[in-house]
Amino acid sequence: MQYIYPIIKADYLQRTRSYSFLITLAITIFMAYSFIPANSANYTTLSALGYKGVYNSAWVGYVSGIMTTVMLSIYGFLLVNSGIKKDINTEVGLIVATTPITNFKYLLSKQLSNYIVLLTIAGITFIVSIGVFFMRGTGYPFILGNFIFPYLFFAVPALFVVASLAVAGEVFLGRRSILQFIAYFFLVGICMGLINAKSDDQPTGIFDPFGLSLITKSITQHINSHFNEDLKGVSFGFIFNGRSAYKTFTWEGLNWSALFIFSRLLWMGLGLGVVYISSLFFHRFDSKQADPKRKTKEVAAIQTDQPIEQHAGISRAVLPPLVFDYGIFPLVRTELFMLIRQGKKWLWLVNAALWVAMFIVPFNIAHNYLLPVLLFLQVTRWSELVTKEKTNRVHYFSFASYKPLQRMLPAQILSGVLLSIGLSLPLIIRGALTFNSDVVLSIINGAVLIVLLAVAFGILTGGKKLFEVFFFLLTYSVVNKVPVTDYLGSLPHQDMSFFMLVILGINTVLVIVSFMIRRYQTRHS
Amino acid sequence: MALTITNVTKQYNAQKTALTNYSIDIDKGVLGLLGPNGAGKSTLMKIIATISKPSEGTLFLNGIDIVRNPDAIRKVLGYLPQDFGVYPNLNAYEFLEYIAAMKGVGGKGLRRRIDLLLEGVNLSADAKRPIGSYSGGMKQRIGIAQALLNDPQVLIFDEPTVGLDPEERMRFRQLIADLAQNCIIILSSHIVSDIETIADQVAIMQDGKLLIHAPQHDIIKQADGCIFELLLDNSKLGSFKQQYKVIDTARQADQIRVRYISSKGKEAPSSTQVTATLEDAYLFLTQDNG
Repeated sequence: MQYIYPIIKADYLQRTRSYSFLITLAITIFMAYSFIPANSANYTTLSALGYKGVYNSAWVGYVSGIMTTVMLSIYGFLLVNSGIKKDINTEVGLIVATTPITNFKYLLSKQLSNYIVLLTIAGITFIVSIGVFFMRGTGYPFILGNFIFPYLFFAVPALFVVASLAVAGEVFLGRRSILQFIAYFFLVGICMGLINAKSDDQPTGIFDPFGLSLITKSITQHINSHFNEDLKGVSFGFIFNGRSAYKTFTWEGLNWSALFIFSRLLWMGLGLGVVYISSLFFHRFDSKQADPKRKTKEVAAIQTDQPIEQHAGISRAVLPPLVFDYGIFPLVRTELFMLIRQGKKWLWLVNAALWVAMFIVPFNIAHNYLLPVLLFLQVTRWSELVTKEKTNRVHYFSFASYKPLQRMLPAQILSGVLLSIGLSLPLIIRGALTFNSDVVLSIINGAVLIVLLAVAFGILTGGKKLFEVFFFLLTYSVVNKVPVTDYLGSLPHQDMSFFMLVILGINTVLVIVSFMIRRYQTRHS
Repeated sequence: MALTITNVTKQYNAQKTALTNYSIDIDKGVLGLLGPNGAGKSTLMKIIATISKPSEGTLFLNGIDIVRNPDAIRKVLGYLPQDFGVYPNLNAYEFLEYIAAMKGVGGKGLRRRIDLLLEGVNLSADAKRPIGSYSGGMKQRIGIAQALLNDPQVLIFDEPTVGLDPEERMRFRQLIADLAQNCIIILSSHIVSDIETIADQVAIMQDGKLLIHAPQHDIIKQADGCIFELLLDNSKLGSFKQQYKVIDTARQADQIRVRYISSKGKEAPSSTQVTATLEDAYLFLTQDNG
């Protein structure tokens, strides 16, 4: 363990000393504040047939603990599943591979580092939840245990499992981040289903990685017995139902059983088991396994390197005369080309299928589900749009080129917009054919918004992660019809023109912010 | 073509100053920058390349203030950074086309220009393969080709010979000699022999300051009469190093030939005075000031 500690520490510091982590923390604080809605809010985070608990310590502490567990289980995976990838990209992995550290210890250090990052975020929501209790509280006594225990018995074990799955995802699915996302969310979907499915039995938590069946059982029993209802389960998440009046009840929290606590330890043990099994299949930075394409080509490079004698050097005299062309079209073309070429080719088959389907399926389904999903499937394309320069250290060239701010950045934005609008074209055409200008403009507005968000987040943080996590949450919210996140205008709005103006305003702000920061960056490399 | 740098200071924070009151006039020809790690060479080059802004001071290219108007130099600049990268999914041809677009180079002759540059750096045969598959030396040659795309009047090469094999290094030196007739070339290298072969003028830097800027032979003169050689027993080397600044050692039969710096008249007995090289002068100047 003495050898693992410095690795965990270095990895943790490396991840947390970044703008993106700071922004993540800021978003976390905002979200933690939103976990306990004000009485006048038109959403809830724990939906139980129009009932909600009074804001005593137990309700605030447990709801906050549950929400932290659920939200971090969903987007925490995206936040931390790049520890090994970072070591591959920076080639630190090659050094690691030559040290005596075992695969298991290395992966364990990554898992623990993932875990500490997630615990840091959970720690922030814990502190905010106490603050919110005093802000929203209605005179109920403050009981610290009601805040500590839900975090200790729900979040702490669940995040351990998430940290382990992030490692397993990297080992088994490598750089196929889209596949990792799909596999993970499929798994989370099943686990979420288990929470309420088990609520009819006496919950032990054995089959529930989040352990939340215990609380759903307690709340449903309380409501059913006190209000003569037949509630089967409760829902978690930001649920917008337009309701602001609820029947309230006083709920005092849970009695923790030894069996339940044992079940949490069991899940943590399972997490360790996942890391151990992953270590048996870990490539240990063998480039053929880590990146098969690269290895093959490196070998080819050695074979085809031409003898020096065959070339005659460069003579300026024989070069054709220079013709200057400061237009941005060639840049747009190459940027678009790189966007299209980025990622796996099979993804284009999925894209094509969804694109065609958007012409055929009912308009609402295409607008509510297919288009947001299709745009999300391009997440790595968007996130690389302005970060690839730094990642590939090409920014030295672009920042030193002629008018980089007026030429490079617009070209990048334009190429992204062309692709996003191209992907949205089936719905734009269908909207235009029915003379529905609101739909057409909303979709164009939304398609542009995604590109500009990617650009602004990328320029601001210098990395891809924050945008990817944000875009995932946005897509998740859109398909769950959360009105405030309806960037494609698929839900009815009271004032559609105002809604479109808001999106347009956001787009304008994003453009201004992006240009301002990039302007600074081009002169401060 | 003249580049005038006056009192340039680059301060990153209260603790770290990369350049202090740096002034130098650079004319057509090759200026070699020498200095230990952290001397400020790369920072100076980044400032000239406009990707880093000086905290204080001015830079004028032919009378135009390039701190305020960076696009004036960008139009005529070729820059090869020390740790540049490439887009791995593009092939050499596509990458150069992309860089050409950044530099605003186009027209019908572009394809031919890229072909000739790729041929010149011996990459024609590999031009259609993704650059991600290239070896370090091949990437370096792509870097050299991109720097020349726009017939630059100011060329900045930061450690250009890293990764090149000896023959490529020789070819690179020839290229620089050809280009130097028409433009300003600023190049830094840790390989003093590269600078010795290529540079007309040499600037030695240390701790963000300019120690000396002069023609190469004038710099070498600084160490004249101070460089000696001596054959020593292996066991005496340790104590010898405590008395003299040793530049180089070479094993010779059962003894060691030691090249060292000493003031005239204070050299060790049985020593032979030898002709100073640029490397001797560089070490002589930087060690005195270290």
